[in-house]
Parts: sequence; structure tokens; C-alpha cells
Amino acid sequence: MSHRRITFIQAVREAFQEEMRRDERVFILGQDVRAGIFGTTSKLVGEFGEDRVINTPICESASVGAAVGAAMTGLRPVVQIMFGDFNYLAMEITANQAGQWHYLSDGALKVPMVIETPSGARGGAGYGHSQSLEAAFILPPGLKVAVPSTPYDAKGLLKSAIRDDNPVLFFEHRRLLTQRGHVPEEEYLIPLGQADIKREGKDVTLVALSATVQKALSAAERLSQQGIEVEVIDPRTLVPLDKETIFKSLQKTYHLVVVEEGRRRGGFGAELTAIAAEEWFDTLDAPVQRLGTISAPLPYSPVLEAACIPSEDDIVRAVLRSLGQEE
Amino acid sequence: MALDNDTLKELYRNMVTVRLLEKRVERLVTAARIPCSGHFGTGQEAVGVGICGPLRSDDYLFGTHRGFAEYIGKGMAPAEILCEYYGKATSLSRGRLGQHLLKVDVGIMPLPSSLGSEFGMSVGAALSSKLRRSGQVTVNLFGEGTAGQADFGPALEMASLWQLPLVFVCNNNQYVELAHYRNVVATEDIAPRAGGYGVPYEIVDGNDITLVYDATERAVSRARNGEGPMLLEFKTYRRGTHYTGDPGGYQPREEIAAWEKKDPIDRCRDRMMAEGFWAETDEQAMRETIEAEIEAAVQFAEESPYPDPATVTENIYAQGGDKS
Repeated sequence: MSHRRITFIQAVREAFQEEMRRDERVFILGQDVRAGIFGTTSKLVGEFGEDRVINTPICESASVGAAVGAAMTGLRPVVQIMFGDFNYLAMEITANQAGQWHYLSDGALKVPMVIETPSGARGGAGYGHSQSLEAAFILPPGLKVAVPSTPYDAKGLLKSAIRDDNPVLFFEHRRLLTQRGHVPEEEYLIPLGQADIKREGKDVTLVALSATVQKALSAAERLSQQGIEVEVIDPRTLVPLDKETIFKSLQKTYHLVVVEEGRRRGGFGAELTAIAAEEWFDTLDAPVQRLGTISAPLPYSPVLEAACIPSEDDIVRAVLRSLGQEE
Repeated sequence: MALDNDTLKELYRNMVTVRLLEKRVERLVTAARIPCSGHFGTGQEAVGVGICGPLRSDDYLFGTHRGFAEYIGKGMAPAEILCEYYGKATSLSRGRLGQHLLKVDVGIMPLPSSLGSEFGMSVGAALSSKLRRSGQVTVNLFGEGTAGQADFGPALEMASLWQLPLVFVCNNNQYVELAHYRNVVATEDIAPRAGGYGVPYEIVDGNDITLVYDATERAVSRARNGEGPMLLEFKTYRRGTHYTGDPGGYQPREEIAAWEKKDPIDRCRDRMMAEGFWAETDEQAMRETIEAEIEAAVQFAEESPYPDPATVTENIYAQGGDKS
């Protein structure tokens, strides 16, 4: 068992390398993927050639459309959308086409593809380069949605996403890209639909996504000093959602807090809260606490941006509110 | 490869099948036997049928919402079309698609309701066949109104940039929904737009099936030989309204009458008769056979069961369903 630590970017690139070596049907297309603006696809062209690492013109919708067409005809494309926000440019293709033709064709067509998309607020990128839109892909049918929070999860989930026979959205929070984490040399896969308990605790179940997992873990450390043990669960994929792991935790804690960097209104937390109200009512001792970004355009000034997004302090307060211990 | 007499007879038979089937389905829509509306293409059958003539069965076709020409041309049977329109369990999609005709094993690819969303997909299909070295050609048929969609230009750009085996075919029937196309299309011809992307183009009479066939044959051979994409614009005319139930009245009567004289089916038949390989008796026998086939298909669709509602969650995902 090695103790190698690599960055999120390296982990993603390794997943691409391994899957492209393993299966010649896998190829990558997107804007500047040969250079790799965030590094996840850099240098792949040297090993795999220009036929399998394809720079596209600047048109997200036609690029995702091309991935759909290639996926339906026997290849396994990965299309990169350089910023999560730009997924809206391709939303018609992703939501109305990619996710629907397997069903509409009654299985005659498969759409095995991945949309890889760096996203999230990193401070100073401003409106149009900072949103976390993963929850927007819960609504359309037929899609899967991955939101890894560590290099280890990123590599294992991406490999599974590439091998999956359905379209998978793969969100990479830009604040995580340069962070290092343990990634073994040996090959491994993480199935889509399996949550990970990032920290065990008995008092409150705290479900966190993507970059908010780290904030949740820091908040949990602080709360631990006050004698409150928070269980931090990272669902890792929103669709399919591992409800079982969250429910098991609730059966122990009876308190649920959910935090995401996506907008709170209509977000993942709204969906999870509804599930909790419908299915887990008897395991709730307090109202669910739901944190997310406010429904404003994300402003440029780092101070304003930070004021929109849930912070570690916000998470601490939400946990205390859940326990009826608000200041 | 010139168009021989037997092939022309087959194309002619397909055009007549399309005309008769569309008329029959229109009556079924009006009688509310079929739940959807219909978009028919009387007078423009030569384009959809003709472009399929030179195609291999494994070539990909992205068709349009209007009529059955390219679907019959590429190998869908009237019963398959009717069962989809009825939404019956016996349809290829088991009741999921309706008017969005699809038959993957003969290369009929998705028809998005949002017309023009297939432009990127046709690029992807052509890119895929190029990367797989399969020798398949993709044909993307669209109307002059759909050329206004956002992905049209980028698709031409990608096809040109990557020299894809992709033939864009504009079926210019001169009406975009409820108005003459020049209300919403800035230029008389769509084809020269391809030139801006370095894609060669031709503008051809779309009511002469021999010309449609020949032009497509040239473009498809070129594409198959690795010489890249082309755009063909076929000039034709939609003699009917946009959809069944559209009261019409926006097409001048003289205009319709003038195009009736250029009817593609009449022209094809006159030519075959003049050249001596088609007779009135052939015509009569063929029509009787087609009508019998259509009536049998209607009966089959009528008698077919609706899908079991329990199947509604099947195949949402590859390898499974989802009830949430």
C-alpha cells in the first residue's frame, strides 16, 4: 500500500490516461484540451495523438452534441466544458438529448459519455466563471452527476464515469484542483452512487458536497472541541444518490444539516430535505438545516463573493441551530 | 454510379408510398385515432426519398419532422411508422417516441423535437465513423428555417475543420411554419453559408428525383472517399400546411398551383413512361399493393395493445430504471 500524495489535477489526468490506454474508444474533446487550461488533459495529446484529444471551436452546445453523436455510434467521449457556468450553453443538448435517447429508443441507443467541467468559486473570477451548477442536472432524466471532493474520489469516480453507459456530469471544484491527497498507485474504481463517510460522529449528520466537504470537516473539528461529534457524509454523486448511508447516519444522530456551494433555492439541499421529510421523518429530532449560496449573481469582489457562499462559520452555526444551541 | 431504371422504380414506389401514407395518417389524425398532430410534406417527397437512394444501410441519417420521405427511404415500414404514431406497444420504441421516428438498425438516428439540436450529433456520428474508419457517411437533413439554429454554423465549422464524412442537406420547401421563409430567412439561398466555412455546396431542383439522387451520390462518394463534407440545398415546395389543423391560407393559390405542375411524383412517372419502362398497368398494380400494405398496417396498429404502464420506468438508464 503506497502513500503517494498527488494533486486533484494529476488524479484526474491519471484516470484519463488509464482509461484511454484501456479502451481505444475513449477520446477527449473540448476547448484547448490539448494544452489543458486547468491541466487535467495536458500532455495527453503526446501519448494518444490528435485524433483522441481534439480541440473544438468555441461552441459548447455543438461540442456536447458531437459527444452525444459519437457516444450513440460506438465511442466513449469525454467533453470538457471549461467553466461550469458554460454548461447552460449546452443545456438543451445535455438535458433534452443526452439524457433522454436511451429511454426514448427503448434501449436501442446508448449514450456513454462524460461532461468534465471545472466549476465553483475560487475568489475573483466573478460572475459567469464561479457558479456551482451540479443541482441543475438532478432535474433532467437520464443523467448521472458526480461531485468529487478529494483527488482519491476524483480518480475513482472518473474512471467509473468513463466506463458507465450513461451520460455523467463530472464537476471539479476549481478550489480543489491544486490540492493534494492520497491516491494509491494501484488501480481502483469508486462506484457511482456510493457515499463516503468522511468523518464519523454521533450527534449530527452533516451532508456536504465538493469543496464544502473540507469546510464541513474543519467545522466538525471545531465543534468536537465543544463536545459535539459531527458525522460528515460526502454523497460523491447526486444521481444516483446513496440515500442508505445518509439514512443510517440519521438513525444514529437524528439531526440533519446539508451544505452545498450551489444555490440554496431549488438546490441539492432542497431535494435532500424533501426526501428527509417524506422518508425519514421519524428520525428527525429537529428541523433540517440547509446551507447554500444565495440567489444572487455571484459578484466579483472577493469580499462580496465570500458573503454569498456558505462558510465554515455558517456551518458551525447551522449545526448548533440543529441542536438547539444557537448563540 | 448512374441511376438505373430499377433503382428509379424503387424510388418512385417509395415516393408514392410516402404520399399515400401521409394522406392516410392525416385522416387518422383528423379522426383523432392518433393522439398527436401531423406535419406532412406533400410535394416534397423527392428530397427525403432521393437522398436515401445512394446511402448504405449502415450510413447515418438525421431526418426532419416533416413527413415520411426519408424514413421510408431509409427503410422504415409503414406499420412501424403507424405503431409509433399510435403509441402502441408494438412500436420500435414501445410507445415512447410518437412522431420522432427512429430506427437505429437501418441508421435512422434521433430527430430532436428542438430542431437543429441534431447538428452537433451528426458531427459526432461522422467524427465517430471517421475515428472508427468504418466508411459510414452521415446525412443531416434539415429545413431552411432550422438553418437559423445556433449549432448550424459550428457544425459546418467542425465538419470542415475535421474533414468529416458528413453531407448537410437543406430541404428548402419555402415555408417556415406559418409564413413564407423570406419572413424569417435573410437570404434566398441557404447553401452559400457553407462556403463561409470552406464547405462546398450545390443548389439543385428538389422536385426531380433523378437530380436529387445524382447530387447526393456525388456528395456521398466524396465524403466516403475522405474528401470531407458538402452541403446540398434542394429547392422544393410544401404544398400543405404546417400541421394538421393549421387552417392555412397564407400560401397564394397560384403559387400552390404552379408547384402542383412540378409535382415530383408526376414528373418521375412521366419520365419512366416516356422512357418506356413504366406502364399504366404497372401504376395501377403498384398503387393497389401499397394501399393494401397501408391498410394492413393501419389495422395492425389499431389492433395492437398500448404499452403496459408498468414499463414506464424501464430503460431510463442503461442497465436500469429509476422511479424517483
